[in-house]
Amino acid sequence: MRQVLEVHNLSARYGRVEVLWEVDLFVGSKEIVSLVGPNGAGKTSLLRALSGMASSSADVMSFRGKDLRGLSIEQIVDVGIAHVPEGRRLFPGLTVRDNLRLGGWRTHNQDVSRVVELFPKLGQRINQVCGTMSGGEQQMVAIGRGLMGEPDLIMIDELSMGLAPVVVEEIIDVLPDIAASGTSVLLVEQDVDAALTTAERAYVLETGRVVMSGQAGELLADPRIQQAYLGIG
Amino acid sequence: MTGFLQAVAYGLLQGGLLALVAVGFSLVWGVMNVVNLSHGAFVVLGAYVGLLVNQRLGLDPFLGMFVAAVALFALGYVVQRFVINLVVNGPIFITLLLTFGLELLLTQGMNIAFTANYQGIQTTYAGTSFAVAGVQIPVGRLLAFVLSVVVTVALVAVMNRTRVGMSIMATGMDRGAARLMGIRARHVYALTFGIAAGLAGMAGTMIGMVGTFNPASAGGFTLLSFVIAVLGGLGNMYGALAGGMLIGLVQALGGYFLSGTWVNALAFLVLILVLMFRPSGLVGKAFYSARLEV
Ligand SMILES: Nc1ncnc2c1ncn2[C@@H]1O[C@H](COP(=O)(O)OP(=O)(O)OP(=O)(O)O)[C@@H](O)[C@H]1O
Ligand SMILES: [Mg+2]
Repeated sequence: MRQVLEVHNLSARYGRVEVLWEVDLFVGSKEIVSLVGPNGAGKTSLLRALSGMASSSADVMSFRGKDLRGLSIEQIVDVGIAHVPEGRRLFPGLTVRDNLRLGGWRTHNQDVSRVVELFPKLGQRINQVCGTMSGGEQQMVAIGRGLMGEPDLIMIDELSMGLAPVVVEEIIDVLPDIAASGTSVLLVEQDVDAALTTAERAYVLETGRVVMSGQAGELLADPRIQQAYLGIG
Repeated sequence: MTGFLQAVAYGLLQGGLLALVAVGFSLVWGVMNVVNLSHGAFVVLGAYVGLLVNQRLGLDPFLGMFVAAVALFALGYVVQRFVINLVVNGPIFITLLLTFGLELLLTQGMNIAFTANYQGIQTTYAGTSFAVAGVQIPVGRLLAFVLSVVVTVALVAVMNRTRVGMSIMATGMDRGAARLMGIRARHVYALTFGIAAGLAGMAGTMIGMVGTFNPASAGGFTLLSFVIAVLGGLGNMYGALAGGMLIGLVQALGGYFLSGTWVNALAFLVLILVLMFRPSGLVGKAFYSARLEV
């Protein structure tokens, strides 16, 4: 499989506090990869490092052959990485349509029809102000906004945050379509069951280090995962 | 009665012009949380540019204001891009200090270049007036008023409808999220500051046409901009228009009923009264209410 994102020996710090150590990670083309781990493990920090929102150092941090090290947030967006941040960070006073259009700002993409196809609920609410929508709908807008720039990789932080399980399922079910159409997915998720069921591969992050990685199915069957995250055994 | 109506008419016309003075100040404050203490100096500099192209090239102020707008836009863009951007994430105190220094630099520079004498841009029409129901309407002020309203409406349209405007709004609401859309925040900040300076330049040329000015006028314009921006709601452009009219009216009526020294205090009295009852300003919240940094 062709790799789009490749990271070797990445570390990151906030001031003098190191939060990520020697992280190795890759994401293949059209692949869904999950990143799981307990609170404070550094999942958000890793995504922020990858999108340039936090500084980091790495031996290799490249995307489709382009070196990401030292690039600004905007330059990393240009390379084709979309980041749906923790907390979604929608423009709350703007409508769904305007939020989506801003997602396509860089690529001059104003056509929201593909997003509406993926999330039909947004079709009826296209003129609604985002701040007044339910959490699930807001998450759909956030992911849709990320997709508007037609990225090769979309990184989604805490997809399920604050959402009911049925809503999470509804959104997660769309991820394979997104991946199949050429946008790889790097999913940070607290709901380990959902994350490992959807993804092809996964990484387990604990206190800033990758402690396990492999095929999602194998991790799901691993007793250590079952005990620590799934409450089995 | 005619005297009262005359004061009202004068106040509204003056208020429109004050709105144009303040709208850029409000925009900059709303979008990037910078209280630009050099704003008034931009206004006065715009007046001098209008004066120069009028004296040297014979340009009418309504053409000269475009020269002033372009010149001030360029100055504003450069100042933000290469100076204020360096500290824009810092505490507001730092940007206050920086723009205060810039104001000193500009006013002192203008003192040297143009002297401290009061000057005005002469036209054949600005001083003439016509009567409506016994109230004298000065032509220059009426034209400046119309221009101010048109420019403010156009600015709102640019903000809401154009690609550039959308990028400015988005950056003002949540800079980090805007950057994740690929919007160049530094460039957008510089553009915003440039637009504000350009509008100040236009307003300055108009002020030079309807009255007189000198470098020391800068502080007064900054102060009025502050009052009007807070009155109207930060970053709210129609709010600036409403705030400008209100302050224009208050000053004119204050001048009619009270002795001269009260007039400036009145502006602040009105500010306090409005904020007591409507803390987010006359026209309600601007869209930048929930600001987030990266
Ligand atoms: N801005 C910051 N300054 C200092 N330390 C931070 C900052 N942000 C995060 N940290 C620390 O970095 C570590 C990793 O945090 P991070 O948010 O990446 O974890 P996470 O895996 O995303 O957690 P969660 O599941 O709760 O979202 C934590 O110990 C946290 O306290
Ligand atoms: Mg997190």
